[in-house]
Amino acid sequence: MKVSIMTPRNNVDLKIEKKKRRKENLASVKRNKMLYFMILPGFLFFILFKYLPMAGLMISFQDYQPFLGIAGSEWVGFKHFIRLFTEPTFFMLLRNTLILFAMNIILFFPLPIILALMLNEVRHRYFKNVIQTIIYIPHFMSWVIIVSITYMFLNIDGGVLNEMIASLGGEKISFLTSTEWLRTVYIGQIIWKELGWSTIIFLAAITVVDTQLYEAVEMDGAGRLRKMWHVTLPAIRPVIITLLILKIGSTLDLGFEHMYLLLNSLNREVAEIFDTYIYTAGLKNGQLSFSTTVGLFKGVVGLILVMGSNKLAKKLGEDGVY
Amino acid sequence: MNQTAKKLVALMLCSGLLLTACGGGNNSGNTSNNANSGKNANSGKNAEAYDENAKATISWLNILHTASPPTDTVLDQIEEKTNSEIKFSWIPDASKEERLNTALASNSLSDIVTLTILDNSAVRNALKSGMFWEVESYLDDYPNLAAISQDTRTSASIGGKLYGVPFQKDLARNGVVIRKDWLDKLGLAIPKTTDELMAAAKAFTEQDPDGNGKNDTTGFMDRSDLIYGAFKTLGSYFGTPTNWSVNDEGIMTPEFDTEEYISTMNFMKELYDNGYINKDFPVTAKTDQQQNFAQGKAGIYVGALFDSKNLKNLAKGIQDNMELVMVNNITATGNESDRAIWSATNGVGGLLAFPKSEVKDEAELKRILKFVNDLMSDEIHGLMTYGIEGVHYTVGEDNAVTIKDQPLWQQEVQPFASSRPKETGYKLHDSDPLKVEAEKLIAENAKYALLNPAHSLESETNTTQGSELQKIITDATYKYILGEYQLDEFKSAVESWKKQGGSNIIKEYESAYKEINQ
Repeated sequence: MKVSIMTPRNNVDLKIEKKKRRKENLASVKRNKMLYFMILPGFLFFILFKYLPMAGLMISFQDYQPFLGIAGSEWVGFKHFIRLFTEPTFFMLLRNTLILFAMNIILFFPLPIILALMLNEVRHRYFKNVIQTIIYIPHFMSWVIIVSITYMFLNIDGGVLNEMIASLGGEKISFLTSTEWLRTVYIGQIIWKELGWSTIIFLAAITVVDTQLYEAVEMDGAGRLRKMWHVTLPAIRPVIITLLILKIGSTLDLGFEHMYLLLNSLNREVAEIFDTYIYTAGLKNGQLSFSTTVGLFKGVVGLILVMGSNKLAKKLGEDGVY
Repeated sequence: MNQTAKKLVALMLCSGLLLTACGGGNNSGNTSNNANSGKNANSGKNAEAYDENAKATISWLNILHTASPPTDTVLDQIEEKTNSEIKFSWIPDASKEERLNTALASNSLSDIVTLTILDNSAVRNALKSGMFWEVESYLDDYPNLAAISQDTRTSASIGGKLYGVPFQKDLARNGVVIRKDWLDKLGLAIPKTTDELMAAAKAFTEQDPDGNGKNDTTGFMDRSDLIYGAFKTLGSYFGTPTNWSVNDEGIMTPEFDTEEYISTMNFMKELYDNGYINKDFPVTAKTDQQQNFAQGKAGIYVGALFDSKNLKNLAKGIQDNMELVMVNNITATGNESDRAIWSATNGVGGLLAFPKSEVKDEAELKRILKFVNDLMSDEIHGLMTYGIEGVHYTVGEDNAVTIKDQPLWQQEVQPFASSRPKETGYKLHDSDPLKVEAEKLIAENAKYALLNPAHSLESETNTTQGSELQKIITDATYKYILGEYQLDEFKSAVESWKKQGGSNIIKEYESAYKEINQ
């Protein structure tokens, strides 16, 4: 039966069609050659700065000595991988990275959506603009500044918060030098710095929601919360899903700078993540091959997470990123 | 027409972008190539006759311990006196590991490279791989370099080979600095034992030594550094070995596997539990520590003895009645025979190393060694320490130097001070009484200095994993002091240090030790 569908077309027809299509493609390239030309810088950028450096990953299979170069260094097979997976530090790194990653997704990710919904309800235009400007500001501060501010607030000797606790008769809390508080402080800083900025894209998505939909549910007697739940949220769902996948892709980069500034001997057990470990092992202690191995592993985990979540999104009937 | 014009603009923009993109990509490559070829041409020209007396152009990758690099005033003088043109590339001390490692990895070095971190595995590997000239056989041709003692040369060697001119530092320069005015006010004597030191810390905390009626002082003011902060110096008072101890049979023990180390931790723990030390010391930076001390928040400072002069300077206008006394003879037992002080890197502050990629031939090496030799002369030492007479300092009786203008000195002279290949034994000396006293005590320390027996021994495991493993011990030590770990938890941390590679380090050191001491 299926064959019969194919029969009207014979081989010669197919060949002609292919040729035709190729011609059309070529013509379209010719027609839009300016556009193709404009891709070139970006294309070159990726080749030069993203793909060529990947060749450097091969030093994770070597005992790389800069003096000897990649050609002269000794190949050691999976030595560094074995060391990574057998070191007890590995589980600490994996656990810390994944926990902070999960906190980022679960605790932080929904907040900008909620805030965007709330801002959307602010009817006074001027007032809304003022609020937006204020909550965007922290995004432009560097982590060094933010960590120093936190230090001034949470430090045990003379930190504002601890002095307040002490004056109220409470026991001072070692926020910065204990394992219990690290994650709270970490996620708190991210929220403080990035919350406002992350609302931008959701606010933009909300503005394009068809106003007729609102009018329709209003006719059905929906209040503000109902409108939010049944119209706004479903309307921006594709944006949320796309951003979530992108976030999962980039979140494994938990922010080296941020964590490096928070890290000390007393919270290392929960604070050391792949990024900080790569830095100390590679750049500070000069074990280039080993830290490349760690970085490679981190990259692979990140890739798996993105592909997995993309697939999941598609299974749930969403578009996914690619 | 309009359409074409638009296209043209777009094309120009694009090609512009493209060019910049390419330019960006190649820039670094180009410059390093240029630098290299320039260098080549230079050495090629001078290969046959590198006249020792000719003016030399010398580049120097150096470490900067001050906030900003020096201005040219003193540099011009040094260049004139050494008949050379010096091009410094300064690396801030705080980022020396990263910067040196990247410089080594990308082979972008200078004629002279200051390597102060010889235990860093990249630096060690670079030295062992033959990236730098071996200099031992040349040293005796130059009077000042020939004077470097055999002990120093041995300590600075790696695998028996000397890959640069060692920085000659004091063997041990640490001690305790105490507020003398506070001791006097509370009727306390200068502490001689660790118990008396504890008593002083207690009194400073509880008896309001500054008399302002507020409970706002502590005994110690420490920083987040278990080596150059209080911990290691206090450790010496309890008899902790310097990093490693070795017995007659050649068995090696790391410092943290000794009873004395635990006594030191207990001492710190007592300070911490009672609030005799700033509670935030595990996250305090050195500058904050010194500022806080200068502001009269605490009465005991442990660190380099000559820091006393800086503390006093910092306290000007804030704590003008501050009187400091330096102590270097504290013991746990009170017996003079137990006196000891740890030695940082056995008196070797690192190497001035000469990479073969920059210093192409023997003739060029000899010219640079002559330059280093000249740096060690009395005249240039004076320039690098005090500056120019009449501008930065005046000389009084008995070659005692007084700095005329402190800010000017800090800006123009001080940055050079850490580049001096040798620091002691010169005729000019500081007239500041605290500095004079500090120098006297540091010289005295040398008699009691405990050397690290593993300093020049090789251990493959230590090179690759040593610093990662050390974190286990550092973390556990802090946790013990802060009361998060009990003794058995600390001991199991030591066990896990051994299990994760520490026992290999011990074994490798022991066999290396035996090889040398047979």
